[in-house]
Amino acid sequence: MRRLLLVLRNDVRRHLKSPAAILIYIAIPMVMTALIGIIFAPRTEESTLPPIRVVLVDHDKNLASRLLLGAFDADEVKKMLEVTVSDEAEGRRRMEKGQASAIVIIPEKFTLDLLDARTTVLTVVKNPAEQFLPDVVEEFMNTMAVMLSGAVQAFAAEARGIRAMLDAPVESIPWEALGPELGRAQKKIVAVRKYLDPLLIGIKAEEAKAAGAKTLFTQRDLFSIMLPGMAIMFLLFIVQTLMRDIISERQDGKLRRMMTTPLRPLELVGARLAGGWVMGLAILMVMVALGSLIFRAEWGNLGYFLLLAAAASFWTAAFFGFFSALVKNRNQAGALGAPIILAFSLFGGSMMNPEAMPKAFKAVGILTPNRWFIDGAALVRDGRFPLAPLAVLTVSGIVLTALAVPALRRKTLV
Amino acid sequence: MLEIKDLSKSYGDVLALDRFSLDLKKGEVLGLLGPNGAGKTTLISILAGTLGDFTGSVTFLGRNLFADRELKSRLGIVPQDMAFYEELSAMDNMLFWGGLYETSRAGLKRRAAELLDLVGLGARAREPVKAYSGGMKRRLNTAIGLLHKPDLLLLDEPTVGIDVQAKVSILDLIRDVGAAGTAVIFTTHQLAEVETTCSRIAIMDHGRILAQGSLDQLVRIVGERDIVEIMGEFAAAAFSEAVQDLTGERVELLSAGDGLASLAVRDTAEIPKIMDRLFRRRLAVTDMKIKSPSLETVFLKLTGRTLRD
Repeated sequence: MRRLLLVLRNDVRRHLKSPAAILIYIAIPMVMTALIGIIFAPRTEESTLPPIRVVLVDHDKNLASRLLLGAFDADEVKKMLEVTVSDEAEGRRRMEKGQASAIVIIPEKFTLDLLDARTTVLTVVKNPAEQFLPDVVEEFMNTMAVMLSGAVQAFAAEARGIRAMLDAPVESIPWEALGPELGRAQKKIVAVRKYLDPLLIGIKAEEAKAAGAKTLFTQRDLFSIMLPGMAIMFLLFIVQTLMRDIISERQDGKLRRMMTTPLRPLELVGARLAGGWVMGLAILMVMVALGSLIFRAEWGNLGYFLLLAAAASFWTAAFFGFFSALVKNRNQAGALGAPIILAFSLFGGSMMNPEAMPKAFKAVGILTPNRWFIDGAALVRDGRFPLAPLAVLTVSGIVLTALAVPALRRKTLV
Repeated sequence: MLEIKDLSKSYGDVLALDRFSLDLKKGEVLGLLGPNGAGKTTLISILAGTLGDFTGSVTFLGRNLFADRELKSRLGIVPQDMAFYEELSAMDNMLFWGGLYETSRAGLKRRAAELLDLVGLGARAREPVKAYSGGMKRRLNTAIGLLHKPDLLLLDEPTVGIDVQAKVSILDLIRDVGAAGTAVIFTTHQLAEVETTCSRIAIMDHGRILAQGSLDQLVRIVGERDIVEIMGEFAAAAFSEAVQDLTGERVELLSAGDGLASLAVRDTAEIPKIMDRLFRRRLAVTDMKIKSPSLETVFLKLTGRTLRD
């Protein structure tokens, strides 16, 4: 153990003495994040939102729900929202395809509950793959809820009359007469909004529990979303560089010299894997700190994130330990390592939003550490414990370690 | 102290060590001479524990060298490669490599400083090694092998590619180490180095020791004869054929190659006879040297090759 720690300490000291490669690998993701942020962040002069596609599911099919539909039909609203009336299944299907930002579900007996002054709930299902548009829909529905609640409370007597009318056949309801009346009331009610308490209509916002990464890209901050992907990509590069020491030392005779000392092969292998892990984790946390300082990126619970970072670094060290045992020399390691890292990053979501990827890419992505780390970071940002990413990275890391240790031990026999 | 018995090692069909046997006493400095491919590095690698798959036995301090892990800390190795970290200072390297042996930190620092002074690196001990010259790196490489005061020191061509000053410093160090009681095995291509440094010289080729002893003992193998080196434009076979009937008690053909041949003669009066034979056969001679017997002559006689072959 003493010798293992000695080798580990020496490795850390060596890399700190010539830190150029590590510093470059830390700087690149920061620069790339900044550039992408500059290119893709919304600009004030281009702040017009695209039409927001909303699927409206009407289980009520009565007066109040039609009023809501009418509100969506107003010219100003039509510029902002593109509403399709359909059922919930169709709405979710469209959301899966990225064709809907939100589903608004009007419950059964919505009109009757309103007119009876009973609390009722409108559900807004938000597309988790989108950052801002579902929130606009939620806000719009909040306003509508205020207006309708206000109208019903302010015109309680009329509402009772209308309620009585509703017992009559639907065909006999004078819709044209009711519309202008409520329209005039709207302006008054907006002005007295703060006095309308309690609201009769509540808004329940939900996020669709879609398969795959849709549940995981929920953070609004562009930098916060991009940085984990960049960080894991460059962590792979850094740890690969660190683990290549084994190959260099085999080539230049240092490994042979070490094996003439009382140092055991297992101690050397352990030191190298632990070194890759510890240095990878430290570098990742430096990136986190820089991300917070420079981009004000949000990472969520730091304890959870630290666990995730430790699991990712462990996986990376084990993988490149095994990789180093398989390649013949440093040149081969360099030639094969870079394409592997780029493939991990491409399929795993470090280079593009996983939602924008073809299905085949997404399927391959689950085999990469990038994907699990990015998913885990998204969960941590949402305040959740990243159980699945942690479990996958740790268990597969243990498997890789089990493969790497004997392979590296054989490599020490020169 | 060290007893090697019937050590054999093959690389496929090539026999690198052929039932190699050797004894070494405390404080003895053995120079192992041999042409390329003689098996010197294979022997050092097996003794250092970095090469397996061999037969035979090695006893060190009365114990099996390969079965007793503790013996590794009694062994010092100076490899042919510059095996240290160039980004670290000489002192950091010494502390790391020395730390791999069972040595106390305080004792190690003291010993490292002493050794670095001894090899002339004390003043630059804190500089990164990458700024050192080739000779300084060689001296550091040697010093690292001595940190833990080994009982047996193995040096594989420790003076390759360095300036005279560094070479002298390393050879002095080897002599001092031997005088202090450490047994040393030191491989080289340089005859002059073993002549001045070693208490015993072994000449090996094809994985075996051909002859061993002190310099005087080895020179007596050739006898009191002059060595005639002839250079010219001739084929080896033609040269051998031309001098064939002259060879015997007074003339011995030591080696014959294309354009270069060596003969040992009891009397310089034999030289005109040799020349006459060559002229008759129309073999062109461009130069000729007459040398007194030396280690080089012995080497030539035993291996039929020069050290640089």
